[in-house]
Amino acid sequence: MKVIYNTLFKRTSTYAVAIIASAFFFERAIDVTSNTIFDTVNKGKLWKDIKAKYE
Amino acid sequence: MMNVVSRAYVRGGAQVLSTGLKASGVAVNSMANRQAHTDLQVPDFSAYRRDSVKDSRRRNETAEERKAFSYLLVGAGAVGGAYAAKGLVNTFIGSMSASAEVLAMAKIEIKLADIPEGKSVTFKWRGKPLFIRHRTSAEIETERGVATSTLRDPETDDQRVIKPEWLVVIGVCTHLGCVPIANAGDWGGYYCPCHGSHYDASGRIRKGPAPLNLEVPTHEFPNEGLLIVG
Repeated sequence: MKVIYNTLFKRTSTYAVAIIASAFFFERAIDVTSNTIFDTVNKGKLWKDIKAKYE
Repeated sequence: MMNVVSRAYVRGGAQVLSTGLKASGVAVNSMANRQAHTDLQVPDFSAYRRDSVKDSRRRNETAEERKAFSYLLVGAGAVGGAYAAKGLVNTFIGSMSASAEVLAMAKIEIKLADIPEGKSVTFKWRGKPLFIRHRTSAEIETERGVATSTLRDPETDDQRVIKPEWLVVIGVCTHLGCVPIANAGDWGGYYCPCHGSHYDASGRIRKGPAPLNLEVPTHEFPNEGLLIVG
């Protein structure tokens, strides 16, 4: 904790960079997770699941 | 009335100040006189305090830990906020772009095998007539041989076509916007019946009131026999 505080949080510049960088990964994680959940819940109803029947 | 009171107050204050100054040697001030409440217990706030400050030996070394925790919470909120803000901005900017319906209408795909040589075919594209002309080799030769110095709007034939057999122009006369007639006029290209503008087989103005050549839209030939305009 001490190291994180001294390297990242102490200065506003590094703090902002840390927030923006982690927002990037956070967004990716949220998007992938929510898409996976959606696909699992709707399995069998989506176009990519039934595509083989019509092509 | 008010004035008298305030003057009395000021005078009184001055007196207090002067006596205070005089008495400062014997340590008579308001703080020192408050001796009535020393028997009160300081309340126990330990239920509200962080564990790291309860240990009196470590108390002075945990400032960074405590701050890191606070900043971490704020930072996590900021990350979530940045994510939400990005989504919001994306939505609003995305609403400004053209809808899928508009984009679908913006392009036209033409099968060139349906147009015989020497024919000019008209399509509707973005609400305007679009002329596709399958030029004969004789026409191509003639248009290539025209000296640009004789033209009102000097453009070579190569500047106006991608494949020399296919001329793609917007069928709106540059004079007052009538639709020219194909394969008519003195140069065998297009002729505008409204005010008699003659265009050649490259869509260039040769005679009549029109100031400019027929407009060539951006088009491409992605493969043999297919033309996409737009």
